[in-house]
Amino acid sequence: MKYSSSEIASTYLRPRKIPSTACSGCGLGMNHKIVVQAIRELGLEVADIVWGTSIGCAGRQTFATWKGDGFAGTHGRVYAIARGLRIVLPPEKKIILTVGDGDAFGIGLMHMIHAARSNADMTVIVNDNLGYQSTGGQYGWTTPQGSRTDSSPYGMFEHNLMSEGMDVLKIMKGAGATFLARHVAMDGTWAVDTVKKAILNKGFSLVHMPYPCPTNFASRELGSRNQVNIYRWIKERSAPIGQETENTVWATGIWHDASNSRPEFHEYVHETLEKIRRTGTI
Amino acid sequence: MKRFLETGNFAITEGAILAGCRFFSGYPITPATELAEAMSHRLPQVGGVYLQAEDECAAMHMCIGASLGGMKAMTATSGPGFILYADPYGWAIGCETPLVVLNSGRVGPVSGITGAPGQGEFYLTRYPTQGGNYETICLAPCSAQECMAMTIEAFYLSERFRMPVSVLADQLITDGFEDISVPENEAEMKEMGFRVWPRKVHPGPDFYPATDAIDIPPVVMGHNTRALCSDWTPTEEGYDIEEVEAHHKHAYRLIYKVRNHRDLFSHHYEKVHMGDDPDLIVVSYGTPSRVVNTAVKRARAQGLKVGALRLINLWPFPDEHFSRKSKYLSVELNWDGQLIREVQRAAPKDSEVHFLGTCGDLPTVPDLIETFEKILKNEPLTRRGWELEAW
Repeated sequence: MKYSSSEIASTYLRPRKIPSTACSGCGLGMNHKIVVQAIRELGLEVADIVWGTSIGCAGRQTFATWKGDGFAGTHGRVYAIARGLRIVLPPEKKIILTVGDGDAFGIGLMHMIHAARSNADMTVIVNDNLGYQSTGGQYGWTTPQGSRTDSSPYGMFEHNLMSEGMDVLKIMKGAGATFLARHVAMDGTWAVDTVKKAILNKGFSLVHMPYPCPTNFASRELGSRNQVNIYRWIKERSAPIGQETENTVWATGIWHDASNSRPEFHEYVHETLEKIRRTGTI
Repeated sequence: MKRFLETGNFAITEGAILAGCRFFSGYPITPATELAEAMSHRLPQVGGVYLQAEDECAAMHMCIGASLGGMKAMTATSGPGFILYADPYGWAIGCETPLVVLNSGRVGPVSGITGAPGQGEFYLTRYPTQGGNYETICLAPCSAQECMAMTIEAFYLSERFRMPVSVLADQLITDGFEDISVPENEAEMKEMGFRVWPRKVHPGPDFYPATDAIDIPPVVMGHNTRALCSDWTPTEEGYDIEEVEAHHKHAYRLIYKVRNHRDLFSHHYEKVHMGDDPDLIVVSYGTPSRVVNTAVKRARAQGLKVGALRLINLWPFPDEHFSRKSKYLSVELNWDGQLIREVQRAAPKDSEVHFLGTCGDLPTVPDLIETFEKILKNEPLTRRGWELEAW
């Protein structure tokens, strides 16, 4: 690794939030580190980024970890707040959102679709712990089919956004997102490189990052809180795009890169308004 | 000063711009659509931004985002959209984000009658979100000109109290055409009693001080002040914390910053023929109060000792106007009786409190005078409202 963990932590994170408030063995810290390391490798500073978070494990545990300005929205609404903020903040300020799968793909999906439609410059890191774990472990909208959770004791049998050839990223692509990728938490520096590209895209970027939940998900699905089991379970179900097997749930890598191919929200809104002021028309 | 024959929506738009509003987000809904349209026309001309949202919930959240970025922001809707504000409203209260929310009342529940006036959100403007532990400020204008004044005042109060402030109008005020004067410079604004408070930026680190003080700058993102805000109970620095003591401090601030500074807005009311201890006090707000005022003046000419109390500052409810033991009549644009409950609570014990409700249409002057007469003669009211509870 290019930078030591302690150096990254002391530069970018608030000491008050170290160690993490996540459960022992939780994979969220791996995702979090991937994002902060990408920021470090891009040479961005604390003042360059406004950090937003959501409700649930991923949002709560990452809120106020960033040393700079940070906000947490109500459940599923952080994308709408970020869109308002995007209009007002200078375009060079980055907005990074660390959210959960329930927040992004359930309650907040419509708002996220509209953020993608408008190509608002923000990087959404969807930390997918396979369901609603902070409420005890209920299935979400990308939970692999068949999984036993507190609300699917016989196995999750609903059609969802990752079943039957469906992929939630297709929805986001259709909505106009300009950068889409997926990595599991164990993808390490490969994921760091992807997140760097996501941040550099001047537009709406989303990286879907499934991570292991040894506490609630693993205890129901695997009958074990032994971390190595759930880490292996996720690893077995992920494969780089093009190398998928019949077990693959998560095809990893850059899924859609149309970086900088569409006008960015802040810029085209302000440019258009400026033109209206000058000429009275668009 | 420029004069126009225009709608309340026009007056609100011009008022918002005078108050420094440069961001509006809304979702089309009758009868607030024309306000959104006027904003989409005017804001680009003054360097502002109009954004249509995917729903009212997103509209108010985008306003929150703009306000968090340091811009004065406003949204507007009617009852069915106001209900979708519940989520962001709570966030803005908790994070102490200045915002102005306009609700143009129509006939409910749900979609009801879209193009007719109603006053069904009296309590909803007091409790616009869940959870309790907060106060709200609500202003209710009764004319297009007053819409402008109260919109400007709402922005002023929202900055000083750093919270969302709502303006409760109705379909007749926002859609109706009236004579409107728009000030053209600061001197004229001052002359008209308009107050403007600039947006400031909290420097940190104690973003949420445990105090009832006002005039604390709001939390603004993007200035690298290490600002924090969230939906959770905040520490003074803005970290999330799950402790009752911390939440008590937070809630105390949200409640008492308003209650302890009511003098800033408690002068917003109107009294007609109230100087000689009238035997009947007619209480109302918004459009019906215009008919009430006419009826009271005519009733006086007929020798009836009635007075009119028009509330403009609805919340916190101005109990001080109800210290006299008298007969009261609450005139409202709903059939269930909402304002009357507060009158009953605030009036001295055993006061006689009556109700006259219409909805979708205004009461008429003869109807009102007839009701005044019956109440003053201790005759039973046999018509309308919850006097029909024998049903």
